[in-house]
Amino acid sequence: MGPQVTRRRPRPQLPTASEFGRKHRPDYVLVVLCAALLAIGLVVVFAISPALSQAAKVSNSFFVSRQLIAIALAIVAFIATAQIPLHVWKALAKPMLIIAGTATLVALVTPVNPAYPAHRWVRLGTLSFQSVELVKFAVLLAVSGFLASRIKDETVNTVQSTFKPLLIATLVLGVFIAGPQKVHAQSDLGSMMVLIAMLGAMLFVAGLKLRTIALAVGILAIGIILVVLPSAYRRDRLTSFLHPEANCQDAGYQACQALIAVGSGGMAGLGLGRSVQAYGYLPEAANDSIFAIYAEKFGFIGCVILLGLLAALFGRLKQIAERAPDDFSRLLVCGVLAWISVQAIINIGAMIGLLPLKGITLPLVSYGGTSVIFVAAAIGLVFQVSKYTSFSAPIQNEKLIIGRQGNDNSRDGRRFRGAYHPDPSGRR
Amino acid sequence: MALPNINTNPIKAVTRVRIWYGVLLLVMAVFGVRLFYVQVIRYGHFKNAALSDQLKQYIIPASRGVIEANDDGQLVPIVLNQKLYTLFGDPTYVKDAYKTAAKITAIVGGNTDDVAKLLQTPKTRYAVLAKKLTPDQNDKILKLKLPGIGTTAQDYRTYPQGTLASQILGFVDDSGTGRYGLEEYFNKELTGTPGTLRAITDISGVPLASSASNTEIPAKKGDDVVLTLDLAMQQQLETILAKGVKNAKAPSGSAIIMDPRTGAVKAMANYPSYDPARYFDIDSKDVGIFQNHAVNDAIEVGSTMKALTTAAALDQGVIQPSTTYYDPASWTVDKFKITNIEEDGGAGTRSIADILNLSLNTGATWELMQMGGGEINTKARTAWNDYLTNHYRFGQATGIEQGSESEGYIPSPKENGAGIDLTYANTSFGQALLATPIQMAGAMSAVLNGGTYYQPRLVDQTIDSAGKVTKHNPKVLNSNVVSPEVSKEMVPLMVNVVAKHYFTPSFDLSKYNVGGKTGTAQIAKPTGGYYDDQFNGTYAGFVGGDTPQYVIVVFIDKPTNGGYAGTAAAQPVFGDIAHMLIDESLVTPKSH
Repeated sequence: MGPQVTRRRPRPQLPTASEFGRKHRPDYVLVVLCAALLAIGLVVVFAISPALSQAAKVSNSFFVSRQLIAIALAIVAFIATAQIPLHVWKALAKPMLIIAGTATLVALVTPVNPAYPAHRWVRLGTLSFQSVELVKFAVLLAVSGFLASRIKDETVNTVQSTFKPLLIATLVLGVFIAGPQKVHAQSDLGSMMVLIAMLGAMLFVAGLKLRTIALAVGILAIGIILVVLPSAYRRDRLTSFLHPEANCQDAGYQACQALIAVGSGGMAGLGLGRSVQAYGYLPEAANDSIFAIYAEKFGFIGCVILLGLLAALFGRLKQIAERAPDDFSRLLVCGVLAWISVQAIINIGAMIGLLPLKGITLPLVSYGGTSVIFVAAAIGLVFQVSKYTSFSAPIQNEKLIIGRQGNDNSRDGRRFRGAYHPDPSGRR
Repeated sequence: MALPNINTNPIKAVTRVRIWYGVLLLVMAVFGVRLFYVQVIRYGHFKNAALSDQLKQYIIPASRGVIEANDDGQLVPIVLNQKLYTLFGDPTYVKDAYKTAAKITAIVGGNTDDVAKLLQTPKTRYAVLAKKLTPDQNDKILKLKLPGIGTTAQDYRTYPQGTLASQILGFVDDSGTGRYGLEEYFNKELTGTPGTLRAITDISGVPLASSASNTEIPAKKGDDVVLTLDLAMQQQLETILAKGVKNAKAPSGSAIIMDPRTGAVKAMANYPSYDPARYFDIDSKDVGIFQNHAVNDAIEVGSTMKALTTAAALDQGVIQPSTTYYDPASWTVDKFKITNIEEDGGAGTRSIADILNLSLNTGATWELMQMGGGEINTKARTAWNDYLTNHYRFGQATGIEQGSESEGYIPSPKENGAGIDLTYANTSFGQALLATPIQMAGAMSAVLNGGTYYQPRLVDQTIDSAGKVTKHNPKVLNSNVVSPEVSKEMVPLMVNVVAKHYFTPSFDLSKYNVGGKTGTAQIAKPTGGYYDDQFNGTYAGFVGGDTPQYVIVVFIDKPTNGGYAGTAAAQPVFGDIAHMLIDESLVTPKSH
């Protein structure tokens, strides 16, 4: 040990493939479900392309080709996150946070695109992206890593080591992303809610005490009320949420037109090429409002199929989380689940008049490159985790099974199929 | 430890993932129920809400009927439609207003700054930038594909014959409504029936091709109207009248050529006139120029009335063409003296021919006296009023196909204790009553055609959108205006007037019958009484062979070329018109 003065800092204890055990067949169903959602989005964008391109005065193929490019980039991102080992991504969390923060700041000082006042875009030459998506991705990795180490330290429920840093981080994010209107032209409360939901979901799974959960929910509720009430812009949206049919002209216009689109779809929908609301009635027909256009085209039956696909996707994520090889990957998967599910719920909820409009996309379905690329990247991480899942993950009987270890070889043979679980033969 | 310490509390973690997943499924279920409520249970409500926004009803404008006239046996259009384009901009889509404006004005002209300003109009999505673009300009603009710039087609009237017959035609205003003349009178028929299109549209109202529920009722084109006008004659008449008004140094004038055998107006002119394609150039204080004065303005016709007074007296049998009487050159009626203002020959024995030839007010008054058995009384007034209103049909619209026709005015014959006899004495020589030139032409035609009053008319036929032709036949309003004998007797009496007056060149009366009567009417002051120095010149006459073939009425407003207005201003115009008709071989000469 003595001469090793200049030796490198010990590598952080990251789980490696070998530590995870044998790699097995990844969860292709996850990929199929995501591909189905992407395809639905692409078909809807294609079908309403005439309306979109007419309004935007671009060629008929503009939106579809843009979305195809986004999907191609999303596939690249997916392969990268699925192939590059998780520990590399975990290590990249901090630099990414710094980049995301810088990008958000850049977006803040860049003049806001008047067409999309509620979105913040970073422009690099001809490329532009919504920095908040990068923030979500970075926060996902950073918080997973952070909480995994707190679990290891058994300090998840400590104020000093867990709550304080997370609270500070949340406040910083809040100021930049959903700060008061003095700072932002229009704050992105929707994305902030998604971030908080991700954080909350990961904390919840990490083992937050029930008392703390109750407290957090209470504080959150009060916070929402305090943030919503003084802002006329948000109050308008809240009012229109409560009475979407009442004022179709002003703040409630989009909510009202969305509900009309959904309702006029009926049981079977108007048909693929027959959306009318896309022709200028419903704002953001391809982005935030794509669910309403889909509902108009494919009706209740189509909606049930889409909800089913989403539920199936959530189910796959839940299963991978259950069987995740370690805390980091479990928290990561839970973060992704929170990201996709909360964003989908906020988006669809607004379209069917159950939640106020928040101006966020329906993951994978909505038109828009940034969202598709970063969600695909997140799914790629999950896909990588799915290669190392273990059916042996001690479900409700873990203690029992461990207790029986060595005593019931036949059971072990069935239950302990996973490569990850300690080998009963003690080879390890 | 043999077991890797990875899951601190896997049971708890897995349970919590499941609880959370359960909540997600619950939310999905709630969404499903809500979707069922919105899409299935409340489907009708939202379908209606959607349709009330999306389904729009459009009026498909009907193409306006065209107006044609006869030219040497051919129907020639005198009013047609032309599609022109209105250029508009939606400022919300225009990025660089000045650059866009410069591109536009390079094609359609106009001031770039003004157009740029229009393109920056706040809070509007429809700013009209230019009107009446030609199809060529429209194509050029559309080729530029400027964002936020578009055009809409609109029908405009075009006039292949220029200003010809402008006051007869009238014009079509910006809203598509016919104003003045035929356009006003036949506005409904010319307009046609607009169609409707019920269509699902985009938010800016453009019907979607994909919609199956579009229903269209096509527009029905307006009726075409064929006029009785003879274009060559109309052109000549306008030229002659313009010259006559200028020679008379008068502000304006009107003239009519009517076929007395049918009531058809062959030509009708007013001077000055205007260009109906540029009606909007007329200053609002000069809108009087839009009027067809020959129909819209009732005037005191003056001595031309004496021909009708004579015909009425002859028809009543109270005088004969050969009758002579002593004319004192002055009558006292209701304490006022009636004298002659025109070519007074002094007191003496006069013939009926003299009354017309010398235009004796006292002679016309004497004729009226004969209707009352020698004095102006209730009988005389009633009898003359019957001729004025029932036979000659003054005091009521003729029904000619023109907007805002004037009815004129005939005083009631009833004793009013305020000098009604004097008033009636005045009416016998065309004062104290108001009549339009077209009323005069209608009455004069009836007197000369054997005694039948045909409704004066301008329309020969109308053709509906299906191509069905409706012929407008001559319409008899009174078949016993005067007896055929009286009608025959009136011809030589009026020819005599022409023979005794100086025309350049003179008429070959052995070959043609040209007859007439001048009128120099005093002009009533708005405050009562008459101007001493302002007169209207009128002339009512005819030209023909064996029978009168054209009745000509001329009216010159306040000529200032000296002499008696009727003789100096209106008579030469009549002469020129009669010569034109003869020279153009439009008159069949006498057969013997």
